[in-house]
Amino acid sequence: MNFDGQQLKTTATRISVLYGALVLIVATFGIRAFYVQVIRYDYYHQRALSDQLKQASIPAQRGTIEAYDGNNIVPIVLNQKLYTIYADPTLIKNASQVAQALADILGGSKASYQTKLTAPNTRYVVLARKVAADTKSMLLAKQYPGVGGVEQDYRTYPQGALASQLLGFVDNSGQGEYGIEQALNPELAGTPGELKAITDINGVPLTASGNNVDTQPKAGANVVLSIDVGIQKQVEQILASDYKKTHSQGLSAVVMDPNTGQVKAMANYPSYNPADYQDVSNPALFENAAVDNAIEPGSIMKTLTTSAALDTGAITPGESFYDPAHWMVDKFNITDIEQDGGAREQNIQSILALSLNTGAVWELMQMSQPGATQSSQINQKGISTWHDYMTNHFRLGQETGIEQGYESTGYVPSADMNNPAVSLNYANTAFGQGVQVTATQMAAALSSIINGGTYYQPTLVSETIDPNTGKATVNQPKILDKNVVSPKTGQELIPLMQGVVQQYLHEGFSFMNFPSDYLVGGKTGTAQVVQSGGGYSAAVYNGTYLGFVGGDKPQYVICIFNIKPHLPSYEYAGSYGGQPVFAHIAHMLINDSSVTPKS
Amino acid sequence: MAGGLAGAGRIGYGEPAVRARKHRPDYVLLVLILLLLTIGVVVVYAIGPALSLANNVSADFFSGRQLIDVGLSLVAFGITSRISINDWRQWYKPLLVVAALATLAALIMPANPNYPAHRWIRLGSFSFQSVELLKFAGLVWLAGFLSDRLKSGLITDTRSTLKPLVIAMAIIGVVIAGVQSDFGSTVVMMAMMAAMAFIAGMPFKRLVMVGGILLIGGILLISAVPYRRERLMTFLHPTADCQSSGYQACQALISVGSGGAIGLGLGRSVQAYGYLPEAANDSIFAIYAEKFGFIGVAILLALFLALFTRLKRIALHAPDNFSRLFVVGVLAWLSVQSVINIGAMLGLLPLKGITLPLISYGGTSVVFVMVALGIVFQISHYTSYVNETDGRRGGYENRANWRRNQRRSRDAKPGSRA
Repeated sequence: MNFDGQQLKTTATRISVLYGALVLIVATFGIRAFYVQVIRYDYYHQRALSDQLKQASIPAQRGTIEAYDGNNIVPIVLNQKLYTIYADPTLIKNASQVAQALADILGGSKASYQTKLTAPNTRYVVLARKVAADTKSMLLAKQYPGVGGVEQDYRTYPQGALASQLLGFVDNSGQGEYGIEQALNPELAGTPGELKAITDINGVPLTASGNNVDTQPKAGANVVLSIDVGIQKQVEQILASDYKKTHSQGLSAVVMDPNTGQVKAMANYPSYNPADYQDVSNPALFENAAVDNAIEPGSIMKTLTTSAALDTGAITPGESFYDPAHWMVDKFNITDIEQDGGAREQNIQSILALSLNTGAVWELMQMSQPGATQSSQINQKGISTWHDYMTNHFRLGQETGIEQGYESTGYVPSADMNNPAVSLNYANTAFGQGVQVTATQMAAALSSIINGGTYYQPTLVSETIDPNTGKATVNQPKILDKNVVSPKTGQELIPLMQGVVQQYLHEGFSFMNFPSDYLVGGKTGTAQVVQSGGGYSAAVYNGTYLGFVGGDKPQYVICIFNIKPHLPSYEYAGSYGGQPVFAHIAHMLINDSSVTPKS
Repeated sequence: MAGGLAGAGRIGYGEPAVRARKHRPDYVLLVLILLLLTIGVVVVYAIGPALSLANNVSADFFSGRQLIDVGLSLVAFGITSRISINDWRQWYKPLLVVAALATLAALIMPANPNYPAHRWIRLGSFSFQSVELLKFAGLVWLAGFLSDRLKSGLITDTRSTLKPLVIAMAIIGVVIAGVQSDFGSTVVMMAMMAAMAFIAGMPFKRLVMVGGILLIGGILLISAVPYRRERLMTFLHPTADCQSSGYQACQALISVGSGGAIGLGLGRSVQAYGYLPEAANDSIFAIYAEKFGFIGVAILLALFLALFTRLKRIALHAPDNFSRLFVVGVLAWLSVQSVINIGAMLGLLPLKGITLPLISYGGTSVVFVMVALGIVFQISHYTSYVNETDGRRGGYENRANWRRNQRRSRDAKPGSRA
């Protein structure tokens, strides 16, 4: 009994000891829970939120881009909802099985999917882009943890590659790149909505969570372009064809309404298809050369030089002068390229018709000092006046403000008389060398002269439409200057430019034959090209043309830049590289009744 | 009968000369069990939608199966609570054989790719975790073995008592920890066996010795397998690498902590939505803590402590050694498993991959826990409360029984046979 009692006591004691230890442990747990849940609550609450609370922006529907085709508005750029399929490799359980399903449903190789699904150190890999909704649903129905789809708007182009360089494209992040898409990105993109939600581990918001903040997205505005689809299409065809005929390295055309500044067509060749922008290897193809390629324009500048000289009263349209066929300016000999009739009496018409560089320099001399007969008479007054006309009247050397992603300012040399050879530089600018301009700048400048002196900001937008109300806001012509030149100067320049067309017809350029009830004028330009290492190349020229076509008054201003055309006679790039393109476009406009003939 | 007078009411050794009369069982124990089961079912039901998303099943899949399992376990409880305790003593051999066969079957069955360890026997949608049966069979065997040794006075004998015990532990260590990589269950079984041996009166020194050997073996086992080493490192620095090895530990602690004082509410757990792995099984305590906060945790800890206290009380007053050792084994099983599970969720112990008894989703665990508790419930019919060695406690129990006796005359009356 004694032994039993001893054992009994031991047992009771031992049970109590173990039980006591257990009570202590449970109490420790209680204290620990109090520490974690009450004292350290804020810390763990934040830790939880940093995982659980996800902020996402709900993309806004991007505005469409449309344009007039005659009187109908036709779509140029539309949206299509497609899906980007992504995966979080840390959540993928059976990569081989998931990869097989991806290959079966999306196409592509199982191996490449498996590589993506097992990518280390990342929680986001893109498996496929531009996946259609039903394909996406088929895949997500399999409910593989870690595989998801995000809706994304993609641009589609019902007109194909039409106007691609002025449109630009939208990249995978929804950002407009180049062209209208970039310039009007804020308007087109709209305002994304905001979603702040407690989500599950895949980022799907939990309905049970009361912490969701939700702002609805605001769709972007629809933009109606000023371009005329019919004209644009034909201009693009003409460029493609003349690009080959002239063995050009780049051909640009701007067709502008001189009475509003609206661009009716703007194209370059070569170009690209915006639907396949990812496949473009040469990014220069994205650039809208008509707006962002500034070159020395050559003799088309003489239309502006003459206008400035007429407007200041330094010359009159009927005036004649003795042309020595060369001028020495700052020890450099200035001669003519296109026409060389030798030293003789010339007049204002022949400065343009025969494209006399010496004539353009003579105009600068007259702006310096009325009646000047020596090139040494070029002075500060003439240089300042011509600089003022180029920069302040014709707005060269600055962006026009047209709705494009990238625009070149061009270059106008300084009029500072302390600069060495400023007289030579300015003598050169008088016939379009040593100054850089874009086709759009030249079209806008000529427009402002022949419309009677109003500089309209060049624009590609005709109206914007609110996608919710359908209300259209017309893009009123924006007048930047009402006194570029006097209306009289404009009226004087028009026949002078008509005379150029007549001269070429007279010389046998039969394509310059236009019906008599149309008003057609122009000016060729053969621009020397600076070669690498300095100086001008003797073998390569750019061909340019600046002209207009209309009836009672000019209705379209057309500017052509033909970069380094490969022609039998290089030095006639303007006549043979620029002029035919202008002619083709002018004939096209007349033939398809876009031009109202003389009443 | 004079011997019976001494033996019947006492904590006796050897078979009692006279069994205590059957009296009302411990209904408090039953109420506590039902409360804990209910909490488990409610929590699993509440996170059903979250689990359904992660596992590609319907929202009531998990709670449906949990209800079936709990129903099964209640039936098992009902059956075992009616089987005489003496019958179990006879069944330890077939039980051990079945448990060994089940373990063998689990080892040769093809494993689920998501859970590569060979721990389950799978037949269609039915799956059975063999170690749970082994725990129970081992418990029955050891209670019988130790009570026999006590009866023959050989409890302190190294050769006949300690040696088989160490061999049994070694087998478990090799098969469960070594082959099945189930370190958590190994710890639970070792603790259960050690507690029973300790209570049976095995000399303390020898237990310390065996414990030391086990500790060395355990360290060897941990350092032998890379993922266990990793878990140990994770345990020492639980938040050092929340992205990979420490992910579950970090997310568990975040779940517990973000519950705050009063919790997010029953249906508002976020962590169950894929953030916290094994939300319905091993990690259910953290989800519970997130839902019900510190108040809920305090209540749950109190419920578990109450259950343990109840088991301790039944053990202290068990009618015979077999019963007492059995109850002590159940107490060790449930308490060690709970402590390991909750400790891991609170960031105090390394993750072991074992369930929280009575709460976690997982059929095998709850069924065998309820089988064992059914037997304890049966034992609670025969507890005897006599003022013997401990006057203070006995006096209290006497008063309690006195009150009961006023109502229920068929209840055992302390010393009534005198």
